Amino acid sequence: MKQKSIKSNAKTLIKMVVAGYVSQPSFRSPGYIPDNDGKSVIYPGMFGVVNNVKVGDKAFGWAGDHIEPGVSIDSEHINEHFALHYMVCTGNKAIVRSGEAKGSIGIVTGEHARNLVHFEQNTLDKICVGDQIDIITHGRGLKLLDFPDIELKKIDPNLLKSMNLKIVDKKLIVDVAMELPIRIMGSGAELNSEYVDQDLMSGDRSLMKKLKIDQMRLGDLIVINHADHRWGRSFKKDYISIAICIHGDSVMTGHGPGIMTIMTGKRKNLGWKINKKANIKNILKVKI
Amino acid sequence: MKIETNEKLLVNVSVMGSVCQPNFQSLPAEPYRLDSDGNPFLLPSWGSIVHNVSVGDSAFGWEADCIHPGVSIKYSNEAGNRGLNILSCVGNEAMIMTGSAKNSIGFVSGKSGRFSEQVIIHFPKKIREKISINDKILIKSIGVGLKIKNFETVFCKSLSPKLLKQMNIKISNKKMMIPVTHVIPEYLIGAGSGLTSESGSLHIQTTDNLEMRKYNLNNMKLGDIVYIENYDSSYQHGFLRNAWAIGIIGQTNGPRAGYGPGITILMSSKTSNAKTKIDPKANIVNYIKFVK
Repeated sequence: MKQKSIKSNAKTLIKMVVAGYVSQPSFRSPGYIPDNDGKSVIYPGMFGVVNNVKVGDKAFGWAGDHIEPGVSIDSEHINEHFALHYMVCTGNKAIVRSGEAKGSIGIVTGEHARNLVHFEQNTLDKICVGDQIDIITHGRGLKLLDFPDIELKKIDPNLLKSMNLKIVDKKLIVDVAMELPIRIMGSGAELNSEYVDQDLMSGDRSLMKKLKIDQMRLGDLIVINHADHRWGRSFKKDYISIAICIHGDSVMTGHGPGIMTIMTGKRKNLGWKINKKANIKNILKVKI
Repeated sequence: MKIETNEKLLVNVSVMGSVCQPNFQSLPAEPYRLDSDGNPFLLPSWGSIVHNVSVGDSAFGWEADCIHPGVSIKYSNEAGNRGLNILSCVGNEAMIMTGSAKNSIGFVSGKSGRFSEQVIIHFPKKIREKISINDKILIKSIGVGLKIKNFETVFCKSLSPKLLKQMNIKISNKKMMIPVTHVIPEYLIGAGSGLTSESGSLHIQTTDNLEMRKYNLNNMKLGDIVYIENYDSSYQHGFLRNAWAIGIIGQTNGPRAGYGPGITILMSSKTSNAKTKIDPKANIVNYIKFVK
């Protein structure tokens, strides 16, 4: 059967710049967090420049909590913080605008409490906390012309184009690395689904192993069956949500690797195929 | 007959703004706005550097809510920003003072109104790639106080003498003949009515598509010079029979009720001393030295 091309409204989208600043690792006093058994621990991972964990690396097993790969950027002005969250899309181009790495180009790999940007190692070595990074946002308003009921969120049109999407029996099929059961979806259910991510709850370690979820990689595309992420994140039978794994595992109850929604819709329009290579490192050809 | 002005008496004052960042409200507020049918939407809106929309492009069809083409600037405090917004005139020269695009020249193409209050500047696309959020931009403002000889009731607003000179306005039978791309009936004017006409924007209402087609408004471009019937922007924006106003399309259409393309008012009079000539070329890109 001849493959039908995937049509989108990409030509009508706006390319608009939003600036963020490289964040400083921060802790609340006294710094400890409780793990699943109530034990107090201190781990790095969130904020700042993470030099040795990158998109494509494993999401589990690090001595860290909610590890944000690459560079985490944010703004201390609350309204700008929200502009970063609502406008920046995965796959967007990033340009360093100040400091030693000025002029260097990176790529957005996801959104956690801050926006995550990948740069090559020699650029990372030059980046300082506080450096300004401009994102050329592109993707807000993206729609699939033949699938008006599928909602797209926070993906650059180039990422959409590179995702190996197929139409089979009038259904859009997305390659994903793994499926997550809806009952392990946790922290993030309290937020609107345009903001940040939702953690899978990795506290049941033996289930993680049994379902091979513990082999998840940062940047993996995943699917959650019976999840409706259109206007919030909730259980709804026969809705599908596709997401990207954006941060590493957590020791806290109700937390775990974070997934950021990129597509959501009814099961009759949207399906998936397991492909272990469905990771944005491969899809966007990210240079490490 | 050509028009004569008091251009030589105008004061040229520098005003400054910085390239501004888009803003959204914090949680638990939802990020969505409502379209005219009540459906929520989340789309890029005013501010920032917009790379792929420029004056001369269509004002319709973008996945956007009243986007400003090119670059938008603001001053950090309210009174200073008001100074920037009032004194900047369409057609004024703007120069980038900091960052990688330092010394590049652009021109003011419009202003935005209540809730955003920014000045909109055109720079060529290649220059825009070098511009960063927070870069300082200086406008050599000139135009406030502009008057036209024998037309004392005509108020010029946000209008640089340079642009006025290029607008091909002629005088015939004691009336100004102004080339415009579209004539807009007063009942299609929405957001902005009742607000100040010295700065900010007035928006066309685009919810009723049949009316839009009737007046051929769907093909409107950013930078078009348009005429509003029965509308008085002498001091504030409001309805008045036989009054008129002309303005420039400064920002794109949007999905909200009352928020179609934005107009920066350039001239207005309470008396019917102007006539229009429909000319599709009545766009700022044909009046000011323009590089896309």
